[in-house]
Amino acid sequence: MLEIKGVESGYGKLKILRGINMSVPKGSIVSLLGGNGTGKSTLLKAISRLLPVWAGEILFDGEPIHNLKPHEIVRRGLVQVTQSKDAYPGMTVEDNLKVGAFSRSDKAGIRQDLERVYALFPVLKQRLKQMSGTLSGGEVQMLVIGRGLMARPKMIMLDEPSSALAPKVVFDIFRVINMIRKEMNMTILLVEQNVRMALLLSDYGYVIRDGVIHIEGKASEMIDDDNLRQSYLGGTVADTNVAALS
Amino acid sequence: MFFDFLIVGLSIGIVYGIVALGISLIYSGLDIVHFAHGEIFMLGAFIGLVLFNTVGLPYPVALIMAMIATAVIGVVIERVFYRRLTRSGGGYTVAGMGMIIVGFGMAIILQNIAFLAWGATSFGYDPIYGPPVDLGGISLPRSYLWIMVVAITLMTILNFFLKHTKLGLAVRAVAANKEIASLMGINVPVMISVIFGVACALGAAGGVLIGPINFVSVEMGYLMLIKAFSAAVIGGFGSLPGAILGGLIVGVAETFGAAYISGSHKDIYAFILLILVLMIRPSGIMGVIVKVKA
Repeated sequence: MLEIKGVESGYGKLKILRGINMSVPKGSIVSLLGGNGTGKSTLLKAISRLLPVWAGEILFDGEPIHNLKPHEIVRRGLVQVTQSKDAYPGMTVEDNLKVGAFSRSDKAGIRQDLERVYALFPVLKQRLKQMSGTLSGGEVQMLVIGRGLMARPKMIMLDEPSSALAPKVVFDIFRVINMIRKEMNMTILLVEQNVRMALLLSDYGYVIRDGVIHIEGKASEMIDDDNLRQSYLGGTVADTNVAALS
Repeated sequence: MFFDFLIVGLSIGIVYGIVALGISLIYSGLDIVHFAHGEIFMLGAFIGLVLFNTVGLPYPVALIMAMIATAVIGVVIERVFYRRLTRSGGGYTVAGMGMIIVGFGMAIILQNIAFLAWGATSFGYDPIYGPPVDLGGISLPRSYLWIMVVAITLMTILNFFLKHTKLGLAVRAVAANKEIASLMGINVPVMISVIFGVACALGAAGGVLIGPINFVSVEMGYLMLIKAFSAAVIGGFGSLPGAILGGLIVGVAETFGAAYISGSHKDIYAFILLILVLMIRPSGIMGVIVKVKA
């Protein structure tokens, strides 16, 4: 569904991505793993066209999107779910969700999707009129995921959904991501530092370092490779039971 | 007499407020202070004057046409001149200082264009309204009443636009964070034009409103800019209700000051107030306190 071929990008004259090759098949969850400053967020920005793509190409549904404008990419159905700090703190929860549906004009469909988001995150329904700046960390994360879904995307890209959250909340968030994949048959690119959790959910994983994909493989094989985790991804996160996730 | 002055002060103040609203809107949306906004106000007043006196359109039609024309001029100015500065990346926020200088330059250019077109003379709008209304002993010129009615209508429309329409929601989203707004599928460059157009239309409305009670002249923009700017800062820079409130305070203070203290120092009171507010409460009366929780 998403094909990234030899993509180079960066800020100003500083090159961060040095030829990234990745592929996210329809209906799968693919993880992009790596520590701070390895190029994860830069790649997301390049895909969403917040940054220019210097070289290479990005195909979505078989069509090139690396020359489109950011809002056109959203209209194609590829939506980046921002980090939780990027909710609009001065807007109500309801307005935040409505902004997510900006690219659509089917009112009935939007109402339907609102209900679906409430079903997924009941806590948001209780807080509709509250400023999103007053929500807890986990609630804001749910809000940005819900906001992303309001665009009725074909594929979502999640930017570190577990960052700055308590372990218990992280677990809840990952369970919801799994539900979104199963119930909506969503294609998901998951950018994470929480390696073990991400690999448990994913079908396939990529490890990025210094702007290049260093390792890739089936998630089920990568997860048992202690050596890989230690050397490329730093410390490990407490083990989680695979069965508990689904 | 007290009530007469109060009403005069409030209606002048609400015009300051309307112009300050435009300045605040551009600031909250684009993070720049638009120093040519006084000249936008002046242009609006002249366009309204031409449409009303020369073309002979009814006053309300002239008002709306002047707002539209000025909005178009504003959008063109922003597209052709201001946006160039954002090309080096980082958007309006980063271009800050350059943007202020370009704003001053644009003010001088617009003033000179107006000078070429209309010369240095002052003009007055032809008489519009009938005899003053008698409100139990207070005789109130109709023009002041109309300023109030029109200004309040405009504010209501703006509030409805921002709070209850999809486009208004997008404007607020762009104001809060442009990068995230584009990830929501919002065409940010178009929204920036919308913000600029609306702000310039408000400036023009101020000009057409103040026309019938003041003279229209090429230099009228400069004083309006600093008073509207004071109003915006007193109310809390970037806050839209604050801009209106600040405008009313400046208008009333100025009128009372002129009436009871000294008429020849009319233009000073706004700045005394500004200094006082900055000393006591630098964020302004309704200064935005952002509650952010990680």
